[in-house]
Amino acid sequence: MKWHRKEKIAGLLFIAPNLLGILLFFVIPALFSLGMMFTDYKFANPKYHFVGLDNFKKLFTDDIFYTSLKNTTIFLAAVPVSLVIAFVIALLLNRSVYLKGLLRAMFFMPYITSGVAIAFVWMLLFQPTEGPVNNFLRGIGIANPPGWFSTTDTSMYAIDIIWVWFILGYNMIIYLAALQEISEELIEAARIDGARKWTYITRIVWPLVSPTTFLLLVTGLIMSLKTFGIIQAITQGGPSNSTTIVSLYVYRTAFSYYEMGYASAVSWVLFAIILAITLLQWFGQKKWVHY
Amino acid sequence: MFGLGLLTILPFLWMIVTSVKSPSEVFVYPIKWIPDHLVWEHHVKVWTGKQSFALYYMNSLKISIVGVLGATLLSACAAYGFSRIEFRGRDALFLFYLSMMMIPPQVLFVPKFVLFDWAGIYNTHWALILPSWFSIFGVFMLRQFFIGIPREMTEAAFIDGAGHFKIFWRLMLPLSKPALATFMIIDFSWQWNDYENALVFLTDRKLYTVPLGMQNFILENNIDYNGMMAAATAGIIPMLLVFIAGQKFIIQGLSGSAVKG
Repeated sequence: MKWHRKEKIAGLLFIAPNLLGILLFFVIPALFSLGMMFTDYKFANPKYHFVGLDNFKKLFTDDIFYTSLKNTTIFLAAVPVSLVIAFVIALLLNRSVYLKGLLRAMFFMPYITSGVAIAFVWMLLFQPTEGPVNNFLRGIGIANPPGWFSTTDTSMYAIDIIWVWFILGYNMIIYLAALQEISEELIEAARIDGARKWTYITRIVWPLVSPTTFLLLVTGLIMSLKTFGIIQAITQGGPSNSTTIVSLYVYRTAFSYYEMGYASAVSWVLFAIILAITLLQWFGQKKWVHY
Repeated sequence: MFGLGLLTILPFLWMIVTSVKSPSEVFVYPIKWIPDHLVWEHHVKVWTGKQSFALYYMNSLKISIVGVLGATLLSACAAYGFSRIEFRGRDALFLFYLSMMMIPPQVLFVPKFVLFDWAGIYNTHWALILPSWFSIFGVFMLRQFFIGIPREMTEAAFIDGAGHFKIFWRLMLPLSKPALATFMIIDFSWQWNDYENALVFLTDRKLYTVPLGMQNFILENNIDYNGMMAAATAGIIPMLLVFIAGQKFIIQGLSGSAVKG
């Protein structure tokens, strides 16, 4: 009994320094924010009132909020697209012998690069009148190339393209690791059975890496939901809110309009979406993931 | 395959080439991959202007290094507690840690803003350094690694009378050098590239980090495309060096923690 208590104290002592910080910088702010979403707290005016569910009522009639939900959905579409491309690249890279390390580094480079630097470069590449991308498109005979960030109906898709490119390297690395776990015997057996390449990939490899696919899909969605830096640096959510995703909207409501109470309410809606996706991971994986 | 790889880094190549071009050559089509003559003045401007990147570099290095060292030590301690010491409530506590990962930073921005303002560290480097010391990912990743170290190695020392602290410091940390290096490199890349926190918690230009410095540069020079590319190049050089040096670690660390996850 005495030994147990001593162990418990030792354990807690090791965890305590980290735990204190987690309480201070995660738990207490989160609780604080939970309370704040029922108030009309504004930074400029420290007097605040309890307003009950008013912030949520406002939310349901807020057009920009609905636009941000729609934009977020378009934004998240980049995740599965990137996964498919990453899978194909990983398959090809797994077989190739030459330059594997160099290629892996090349694909991975966007992921370790500063989002702001990426924003700069793509802003110029997608410049509508003289940018290299549109010059290229005109060069191959497309008379009216897209306006990218300059028009409301293409801006979100331009962000998607960047995002697919940005998360590609990470997804590819994880797929490569998963592919290396597939046993040689299985590959040999398939070859002896005369499985054709396509059948082999769709019937054997893809199901075998499905846990990885699922994990990458869910963590990719969650990671993307939390991000806004690249979009803030490129478009600040414009033109006319066409690239305002929910996380960016929270930032802007809080630190441009100083509507802290309302921003807290929107941020918890974001949390609810993340929670839903996490629960989906928890319960859904058994349905279609083959272990 | 090599072509596809090249296509991925084409934006970076274009960025570097553009940073040493003359302004009239930026949008020339077909793209001039080799400029007529190298123009270095854009880089000079970035490094020596009124708001110099040298200052941003110093700020970013200070925040990233102090942040990474603190995060590594505190995460390793907690990871040891979660992996080598048995006590009631430990697993529930760990689950609670993992659930914290779901909270989006946006939820925390507003209360942290108020908290930092109240504590007097808003608009100081501490507002970035202090929270970065407490990394849930670090605890998670190092715990995974510690679990993999054979128990016999630490139990022998325990029987010889060594306490937990001695085992942790003299045995566990030296055994975990690769995992610690992996975490430090990944954490450094996050800290170096962190734009969101700096955007929210820093207002004084003297305190700006590299990502904010880049953002600032574009606000003041938004038609100087060559300068923008020189600034972007400056912003990614350190990460490029770290990546070249630690590529193996980054890739093993990320794939290890995700596949086993």
